[in-house]
Amino acid sequence: MAIVQMQRIRVCGLRRQRKHILELLQRRGVVEIDEPDREEEGFESVDMSSQRSALEKELRLAQEALQLLQEAVPEKKPLLSPLAGRKQLTEQELIDFRAQSAKTVALAKRVLAAAREREEVRTALIRLETEEEALAPWAALDVPLRSRGTRTTAVFAGTLPGSWTQAALEGRAEPLPISAEIVSEGQDLTCVFVVCLKKDREETERFLRSLGFAAPAAAGKTPPSERRKAIAQERAALGEREEKAKAELEALAEQRGELQLLADSLTMRIEKYHMIDRLQQTKHTFLLAGYVPAAAGPELARELEENGAAAELSAPSADDDVPVLLKNNKFTEPVEGVLESYSMPGKGEIDPTPVMAVFYYVLFGMMLSDAAYGLIMVIACGLCLLKFKNMEPGMRKSLRMFFFCGISTTFWGFLYGSFFGDVVSAFSKTFLGQEVVLAPLWFAPVDDPMRMLLFSMLVGIIQIFTGLALCAYQLLRQKRVKDAVYDVAFWYLLVGGLIFALLSSDMFAQIADMDKLPAVFGTVGGACAAVGAVGILLTGGRESRSPVKRLLKGAYALYNVTGYLGDILSYSRLLALGLATGVIAEVINSMAVMIGGGVVGFIAFLLIFLVGHTVNIGINLLGAYVHTNRLQFVEFFGKFYSGDGRKFTPFADHTKYFKIREEK
Amino acid sequence: MDQLGMALALLGAVLAALLAGIGSAIGVGMAGQAAAGVVTEDPGKFSKLLILQLLPGTQGIYGFLIAFLTLSQIGVIGGGSVEVSVTKGMLYLLACLPIAFVGLWSAIRQAKAAVSCIGLIAKRPDQLGKAIILPAMVETYAILALLVSILAVFGITPLAL
Repeated sequence: MAIVQMQRIRVCGLRRQRKHILELLQRRGVVEIDEPDREEEGFESVDMSSQRSALEKELRLAQEALQLLQEAVPEKKPLLSPLAGRKQLTEQELIDFRAQSAKTVALAKRVLAAAREREEVRTALIRLETEEEALAPWAALDVPLRSRGTRTTAVFAGTLPGSWTQAALEGRAEPLPISAEIVSEGQDLTCVFVVCLKKDREETERFLRSLGFAAPAAAGKTPPSERRKAIAQERAALGEREEKAKAELEALAEQRGELQLLADSLTMRIEKYHMIDRLQQTKHTFLLAGYVPAAAGPELARELEENGAAAELSAPSADDDVPVLLKNNKFTEPVEGVLESYSMPGKGEIDPTPVMAVFYYVLFGMMLSDAAYGLIMVIACGLCLLKFKNMEPGMRKSLRMFFFCGISTTFWGFLYGSFFGDVVSAFSKTFLGQEVVLAPLWFAPVDDPMRMLLFSMLVGIIQIFTGLALCAYQLLRQKRVKDAVYDVAFWYLLVGGLIFALLSSDMFAQIADMDKLPAVFGTVGGACAAVGAVGILLTGGRESRSPVKRLLKGAYALYNVTGYLGDILSYSRLLALGLATGVIAEVINSMAVMIGGGVVGFIAFLLIFLVGHTVNIGINLLGAYVHTNRLQFVEFFGKFYSGDGRKFTPFADHTKYFKIREEK
Repeated sequence: MDQLGMALALLGAVLAALLAGIGSAIGVGMAGQAAAGVVTEDPGKFSKLLILQLLPGTQGIYGFLIAFLTLSQIGVIGGGSVEVSVTKGMLYLLACLPIAFVGLWSAIRQAKAAVSCIGLIAKRPDQLGKAIILPAMVETYAILALLVSILAVFGITPLAL
């Protein structure tokens, strides 16, 4: 239905124009260039990997610089910035930028240097801090810790475990004549400075060792007190350097845009070099082949010829692996993303998006089913869509999808009489003293869940039968009439017949509390079901040659009727999720009015109401999204869609920060 | 003895909230641990992982829902004393069991699927759609159990037993 017709395109040009032609193709972004699969005689492919890796190196530099800037000076982004889309840039601006991109590379290097400088300063500061900490107990000492003594004396500076006084230490050393000085006392350590005669040196050392003497961790040639002053100076100097580096980074952050542009420009050039690998070249010419949407083909061919290349368009042959591009209108296009997350349509399959869109919106609405929640979605998505004109296409599609889902949710919400659950009646009863009820336009599922369950299954039957119809359509398009009868018509007879037979049975009338259909429906339905069943039994295994095997396979195919039962029952989630939204909302409301009337009650009401409904919207939005997807993927697609197509990925500007605007 | 019916119904409500809540707590916790591991590598994936972490959380809400419905049907909340016979109390208890047990089990099983899918997102962040669907398949059974419990609780109330 809406798969874009593709054409093969072959472009032949002069090698010296290669860059020009490729850039043209990249800007237009409508051609997917083939992977080279065959080496034709006389052609060679050119290896551009060395040029590419040089560019990749520059790209890494730019990305690293951006990353460092982001860490040092985080970019302030408004909350909704992901919606705003990439910045716009004209082609001319890009060309101007490329002419002097060396300047930006230098800029990136400056960022890296500044960041490295800052890192170095930080490491140095940490080192100084550690040294200072180690020196702190020795602050009072005005002799270098490493000093060995004078001509006649030897000195020892170090720590002793435990607490010592001068007298105790000197007394303990008797009869060794030493002079001890307690420099400072820590928790379990005492820093001592011991002086002795040079001749007693070894003995004193032995004595101190026996007490657990240890040399200090920080040893230096300068006395600790002086060293500490020096450290303070060094720190101040380092602090200045750090400030300078920080200021430099902040100044450089102003030019972040340039770096982003550099990264984008390089990304584009790298992609171009990837494409050059795919070309077939001779000494003076090059040849490329690929796919182009039929609508864009002639225009592109004309433009290529104007630029001095020859272009040839042809219809793809039957065994070409044609990539898939979808095109839908504004109402159906938003669910393309959902389809893509499953798979693109394969050969001979239709684009299910238009049919799926209708079901998607309806089912989503039935699951969320609250008018107020729906309105919130409509307003939020609508405002964003209006405000951000430059939004990325993918984001725009998602928001549009939730916009339409919101409309459907509002619709079902009013049908079921749910507006923030039952807030209208709960609020009016508590605060206005008079109950105002927002009556459902159709019926409230809470009051009549059985009716809602049947309705859910009816919706399921409609979707499943639509899926079967699409299957028949696909088969007929391929002129496989017999397959359409065997695989679709028989199933219609069987499942449809069974439904009618069930509707006219006593059992059903009892369960559903409904009038049963006249018996004639049961008879006709039963007969149809029998015809369908026999048909499936006979044709279900038609690809097997042996009759026994064929019958057995047919029986297995018939067993699949339980699958249909399961599929239809699966739609009961429409009831369950719809009830869940409504009932949780009611629970929130009844908690909110528990305090009662008055000002305090009103404040409590507001708080509980806001928090509760925010949570409820979040949870049920997620639930509705997930389960709507599931119903499409499993129950609906299971009937007709295998989706083994390949997405059309044209050679284009795949940039991150800037969008190159076309100038015409 | 005249309060036994009420006690049985209350037991049902409590079990629904208790077991389904435990299941979801375990499940969300497991998925959260796995997600935290991925976030250490790439904080940008946080929002995607949050969705996956939340998936096993719904069972707890379903259990809470049934508990609240039962409590309001038997008049514990919302006022209005309701006479609950022993038979009726027993019925309420039974009605609560599907979501209690299926909620407990499916939340944990769903969490295991979610943990695997968090691994999937770590390697292929573009495959979020598929990663959400796989654990969501498990939830089908919790939804069916919820449905049975809702229908049963609503169905019991008008019975004259």
